[in-house]
Amino acid sequence: MCNMSIVDLTSMAQPQKELREKISTMLGSMQEDMPNYCYQCGKCTSGCEAFILLELEPHKVMGLAKSGFIEELVNSDIIWTCLTCFKCKERCPQGLAPVHVLFVLKNLAVAAGKQIHTGYSNMLQSVLGCGLIQQPRDVVTRKSEVKNRESLQLPECPKPKDISKFQQVLMKAATETIG
Amino acid sequence: MKMKVGFYLGCLIPTEQYAYEMSLREVLPRLGVELVEMEDASCCGAPLRSINLLLTLYLSARNLALCEEKGIDVFAPCPNCHLALCEAKRTLDSDQKVRERLNSMLKEEGLKYSSSARVYHTLDLLHDKIGIEEIKKHITHPIKELKIAAHYGCHLIRPADVGRPDDSENPQKFEHILRAIGANTEDYTEKLNCCGAPIMITHPESALTKTAQKLKAVQEHAFNALATLCPWGHRMFDTKQSNASQTIGETLNMPVLYLTQLLGLAMGIEPSKLGLELNLSPIEQLKVMGGGE
Repeated sequence: MCNMSIVDLTSMAQPQKELREKISTMLGSMQEDMPNYCYQCGKCTSGCEAFILLELEPHKVMGLAKSGFIEELVNSDIIWTCLTCFKCKERCPQGLAPVHVLFVLKNLAVAAGKQIHTGYSNMLQSVLGCGLIQQPRDVVTRKSEVKNRESLQLPECPKPKDISKFQQVLMKAATETIG
Repeated sequence: MKMKVGFYLGCLIPTEQYAYEMSLREVLPRLGVELVEMEDASCCGAPLRSINLLLTLYLSARNLALCEEKGIDVFAPCPNCHLALCEAKRTLDSDQKVRERLNSMLKEEGLKYSSSARVYHTLDLLHDKIGIEEIKKHITHPIKELKIAAHYGCHLIRPADVGRPDDSENPQKFEHILRAIGANTEDYTEKLNCCGAPIMITHPESALTKTAQKLKAVQEHAFNALATLCPWGHRMFDTKQSNASQTIGETLNMPVLYLTQLLGLAMGIEPSKLGLELNLSPIEQLKVMGGGE
């Protein structure tokens, strides 16, 4: 992993007002607020599931977003370490949602054409192709027998009826953003 | 109690977590819940949140609309789906502009969101709709002498402002059900901790370390088994338990079962119908499975 630090990168930068506005609108569409009232208490970081192993510090993300250093965040790999456990949102004394700020930042990274992990593009491709993030798989029992939906007598896996219509709508949505 | 719900499976359950689906199909109809197939369903969009939140919102709205078309409520046994559907519902119900935008997209697929369907998860269906007393009436083979830990799954209890089936900091409904089927259970410090699943794509080693740390804690608290209600958590704790143990260099030996599998056993349903051969963790060591513990 490179570029995990978000602190050093900010020293020479100017805040980006337009991007800050964009984030604010996107958060608004998710019924969440811009971190204007974050007072850096660190409660989010103290409970963060990604803090100890991956050094994600949500309060720093909030501080940078509040100040408008969006590009620095969008370019940092740290935003991809969030486990989306929602503890930060649940516990924020100001009713803010670092987890949603991180979603929005990742969305911006994708929209800006930054390279995303192949696992994500595979899931998206699969949803476009069959409606689900993966095709039904063969599984193995503890006794190493191979089983699938059919041999387990489960009905056929769900799939959008008109898959090309479904694809069309999704492809269009994928080029837009939430806010 | 009699009710009819759209059986919305999401992605992970119908493509690999078959034991959850099998046990739900056995248990719920016996408790008065009719499961209506949703042949046209797709992903709820939750796994794509990081890519594009609009996609997530569209996919959730789409599946809600599919159920509304049938005039029934949605039953989403995956906490990740359940949260995405509830979030979409809240957003579309409170923001007219977003709702119009989404409805114009849904129109292309001949669908319309009208806010009529309620969303249930296994936990509130069992605890609030069916109820502990009713469950107790169906127990013929109580799961005795086992101390079982509960893993709720993050998205089942947080964030509270979207409306979750149980309390965000002190959930107890899972434990009530475990006690109703005869098992012992208690709170443990790591109960609310994450399973690691959401970063399995980007940081697999850290994800599996999270899994192993929680399993190790459950083991150290002398639980006989860990029960789950989330296909993502179950995949980490059960399916990937041996991979997880390598990340902390210790042996993990924790039987992991879906709560619905335990409930099925307590109701006297045949193990093969509950998909118990599919659990990869050492569940055969449990007495209910004919083992010694």
